[in-house]
Amino acid sequence: MVNGYQARSLQEALDILSSEAVIPYSGGTDLMKKANGNATYLFLNKVPEMKNIREDRKYIRIGAGCTFTEIIESELTPAILKEAAALVAAPAIRNLGTVGGNICNGSPKADCALIFFVTDSKLRLVSKKGERVIPISEFYLGRNHTILQKDELLVEIFMNKTGFENYCYKKVGARKALTMSRVSFAAILNMADGKITQCMIAFGAVGEVILRRKEIDDMLIGRTIPEARAVKENYLAAYEQAINPVQGRISAEYKKTVCMNLLGDFLDSKGI
Amino acid sequence: METISKAIKKKDHDSKISGQALYADDYVMNGMLYGRLLGSSKARARITAIIIPDLPEGYLVVDKYDVPGTNRVQIIQDDTPVFAEETVEFVGDPILMVVGPEYNKVESILENIVVLYEELVPTFNMRKADTVFFDYHYAKGDFDKAQDEADHIFEETFQTGHQEHAYLETQGIIAYPHAGRMVIRGSMQCPYYVHTAVTKALGYDARNVQVIQETTGGGFGGKEDFPSILACQTAAAALKTNRPVKVIFNRREDMAFTSKRHPSVCTYKVAVKDNMITGMGIDLILNGGAYTTHSSVVLQRALISSSGVYKIDNLRVAGRAVKTNMVPSGAYRGFGSPQTIFALEMMMDHVARKLGTESLEFKEKHMVKQGDTTATSGKHHFHVPLPEMIQRINELTDYPAKRKRYSRQSGRYRRGMGLALSFHGCGFTGSAEGEHIKPVVRIRKAADDQVEILTGNTDMGQGLKTTFCKIVGETLGIPFEQVLIENPDTDRVPDSGPTVASRSIMIVGSLLQQAAEKLRQIWQTGEEQIVEEHYVEPKFIIPFDLERFRGDAYPTYSWAVNAVEVEIDTLTAETRILGAWGIYDVGVPIDLNIIQGQMQGGLLQGIGYAAMEKIDYNAQGIIRNNNFSDYSIPTAMDVPNLVTEVINNPYTHGPYGAKGAGELSFAGAAPAYVEALENALGVDLNKVPFTMEDTMGVLREVHHHD
Amino acid sequence: MISFMLNGTKVVSTARANEPLLNVLRNEFHLSGVKCGCNEGECGACAVILDGRLANSCMVALGSIQGSKVITIEGYRTTERFTVLDMAYASVGAVQCGFCIPGMILASECILAKNPNPTRAEIQAGISGNLCRCTGYNAIVAAIGIAAKEGQGLW
Repeated sequence: MVNGYQARSLQEALDILSSEAVIPYSGGTDLMKKANGNATYLFLNKVPEMKNIREDRKYIRIGAGCTFTEIIESELTPAILKEAAALVAAPAIRNLGTVGGNICNGSPKADCALIFFVTDSKLRLVSKKGERVIPISEFYLGRNHTILQKDELLVEIFMNKTGFENYCYKKVGARKALTMSRVSFAAILNMADGKITQCMIAFGAVGEVILRRKEIDDMLIGRTIPEARAVKENYLAAYEQAINPVQGRISAEYKKTVCMNLLGDFLDSKGI
Repeated sequence: METISKAIKKKDHDSKISGQALYADDYVMNGMLYGRLLGSSKARARITAIIIPDLPEGYLVVDKYDVPGTNRVQIIQDDTPVFAEETVEFVGDPILMVVGPEYNKVESILENIVVLYEELVPTFNMRKADTVFFDYHYAKGDFDKAQDEADHIFEETFQTGHQEHAYLETQGIIAYPHAGRMVIRGSMQCPYYVHTAVTKALGYDARNVQVIQETTGGGFGGKEDFPSILACQTAAAALKTNRPVKVIFNRREDMAFTSKRHPSVCTYKVAVKDNMITGMGIDLILNGGAYTTHSSVVLQRALISSSGVYKIDNLRVAGRAVKTNMVPSGAYRGFGSPQTIFALEMMMDHVARKLGTESLEFKEKHMVKQGDTTATSGKHHFHVPLPEMIQRINELTDYPAKRKRYSRQSGRYRRGMGLALSFHGCGFTGSAEGEHIKPVVRIRKAADDQVEILTGNTDMGQGLKTTFCKIVGETLGIPFEQVLIENPDTDRVPDSGPTVASRSIMIVGSLLQQAAEKLRQIWQTGEEQIVEEHYVEPKFIIPFDLERFRGDAYPTYSWAVNAVEVEIDTLTAETRILGAWGIYDVGVPIDLNIIQGQMQGGLLQGIGYAAMEKIDYNAQGIIRNNNFSDYSIPTAMDVPNLVTEVINNPYTHGPYGAKGAGELSFAGAAPAYVEALENALGVDLNKVPFTMEDTMGVLREVHHHD
Repeated sequence: MISFMLNGTKVVSTARANEPLLNVLRNEFHLSGVKCGCNEGECGACAVILDGRLANSCMVALGSIQGSKVITIEGYRTTERFTVLDMAYASVGAVQCGFCIPGMILASECILAKNPNPTRAEIQAGISGNLCRCTGYNAIVAAIGIAAKEGQGLW
């Protein structure tokens, strides 16, 4: 009876993945929504290499198989990630769903993926043939469509260890819990010696992929607050042009207004 | 507080909290088959062909040809087919059922059945509907004259949307032939409604149908008519296969294909003289959906309630329930009155603003009091405690001061406070109890002196088993534990009428009290005794003439004052509820915990109705958000502590002073919520649900004009 | 064949690895206290305690719980902690239609196991995935608060 494989190590998981037609199953909360009696799953939820949260010299390394609850409870994960993880669905889902699944499912509404975008995090993808580490911005090809190869697993997410303290995060859903993002917004702005050193903005649920436009944010880098204020109008106009939500059950107009309001408010809060 | 009001542990508490209570889906019988319905994929079409693949052994298709009696479901009328005949009238209109031993196989067979349609032009817009199911009107005084003499005439139109009941247990029925009879078990509010419908569909003698209610996981009106439909279909399948057949809806089927609250469009024309309303012209359209089900009676209550708690001397009221090619609308907590009460409360608020007075003051000047005539020229026979209820809510909420404070705000977060007055006419509309229902109750004392209550009424969570047993136990002077009550089984219980219309305590509870009183007088220890009691209409009632809408539509009314306080985030248009209050008059509560549960539960359903619950139909007439993810009902994080209180106002003709309660808690929430939004936004609003997107629309508009 | 601990007993299921745990519990082990309200992880009626944490059993494939511990209301109702919750729920009439209740009780346990003295907001968050259409949540939130007080030392 081969209708599922329980991998006990990363090596075993990669072996099975390279030789069998299986669907990687991490937390299961997205897969099980679309019940599929013919699916053969590769169960990754007990693969130890994917369950760790640790630090190396450069990064916080988050196992892709860590559940949202584990993210919230970890001492190592930054506050901005905890806050987003805590707004995913509800406890009985957060205890199952994983950050890896959140990324690989390929939804532009994914709450934690937004945080990995805004923090310019990297993904460690591993296959039997080798591994690669890529910025998350290169991971997505479109909605539900990523560069992950059939024999490849997202094993870890690398986040910088510092620099995310001055953040703003907002999830707008239909209600206060058990809700998908209608719009989500994350922003980080850092200063040194009176100049903006980092400005990182990301929007969720407004397009096929989470929206992160470094070239727009670069307009503010190296500027003092008054200098930034001087280019504010152009900066906002660039985002105004970049944000084109798809018309769905939630109106594009609503989504865009919220995005621009939150962005404007964020700049205001920084005196820009 | 009266002794009887003291809360006790509910009769059904132990079995439910331990997970031992059995609901329809928990029953498995030998040889049981599973059924699933194939619904129309078109909103309006003629069926030209149905292509059924070769069926594996043991699997069958059941359709209109398998209904041996009449292929119609008897509700009030019988236009609802058991299985579709020549045409289909809404997306989901049941065409056939596939039954077989394995649910998954049934599902895959269903997917391979092809129905060919000749599409017809559907109607979705109730204002453009050409089929009028019901058309009623009535008048009081002379509205034309009031208009002629008025200083001002204001007119405005209001809209309300569909609402899904969202009971946690989906619809479910089991049917099986037994000794030449048909047995129906399942989730339902009204076993005798189901009994009548199945008898007719099968063409059976009434004695050969048995209906048993199983533990029912919530109803709110949603299990008033729909179980009759599903029971007829399942019974036809059981008859054809000669096996037990179980049909349990999945959530998506339940949300897409079962009844909803009627959407409405309602226009109020108000004549004002000397800053007082002298007349109202009210015109209502209810979207009945594809079949009539309960639309006639929902429309009646909506119209009768349309001038609410106000004394309006000159009234002209008209309304129609129209046919659209949408899921049939049906009963839902409040039964039409929340729609008109929403429109009315908003109208009162808007007129007040136009006249430069504060909303509540203006409403208070128009409130009815004991002795006043009702909208239908009946009489408010009993004390109307609204003044003391308003005083109490002001104490609790600081409403007048907050309302004033919130009227001018700037900044990101803006607060608002709204208040609504409402009522619920207790029991069936008009003379239905005496003329049609004729309820009967029985109490049986066994030889061991245990007393059993026999009524057709159901406990679907509202606590009826507990309240009935308290009434009987108290009257007999015996412990609560000595009084028993089972889920109704039509073989064992008389027809005491359906469990609807906030009638169970007031009408059936009264009969039980009388029966218990009789039993007390003839009590013979150690002997089996049975007492039966029949309904007699109270003498004080002014008979109701349904043709003219004249007389006492209800013997009495329950009253409510609700307040809601909100905070809007102007950047996102998210609205947080800071507080929600309800002061209620339900006569004497038979159990304080139960009443609090009814008041809080209804209040939150009303907030959901106002703020977030929106059925999203597409242009083909398909409900797109047929799941709990996309149709949002409030979670525990969406509300603060709901503050509800009851005041003491015993009803002389109810058991221990009780009157109707369950529906009362709903209607005031929506107008209070929207008034709060108005207070925060500084504009007049006229619809529910009023969603975040709607709020954002207002904010953009306001910003635009700044 | 997947083996796991079910309410303290080792069991082996013959169901397919992709089968939702909800179906396995109801159909194979006849644990009808586990309710199916939506089958999409959106209502919490099917919640169980999986390796010490609340989980919607409709969202769990059987193959993912090899060697895990599962507790349903049928196992939990024999505990002393259940008795405290039972009395607390009864005292405020928090059980109406009852369909959400088995999941709600297990959610209550998980709240108190994590934090024996939860704030109101923590209680609300803890049951935020368990929909109830009857009560308005007031009585349930109150009951969990009462249980926290009455169950001193148990959690």
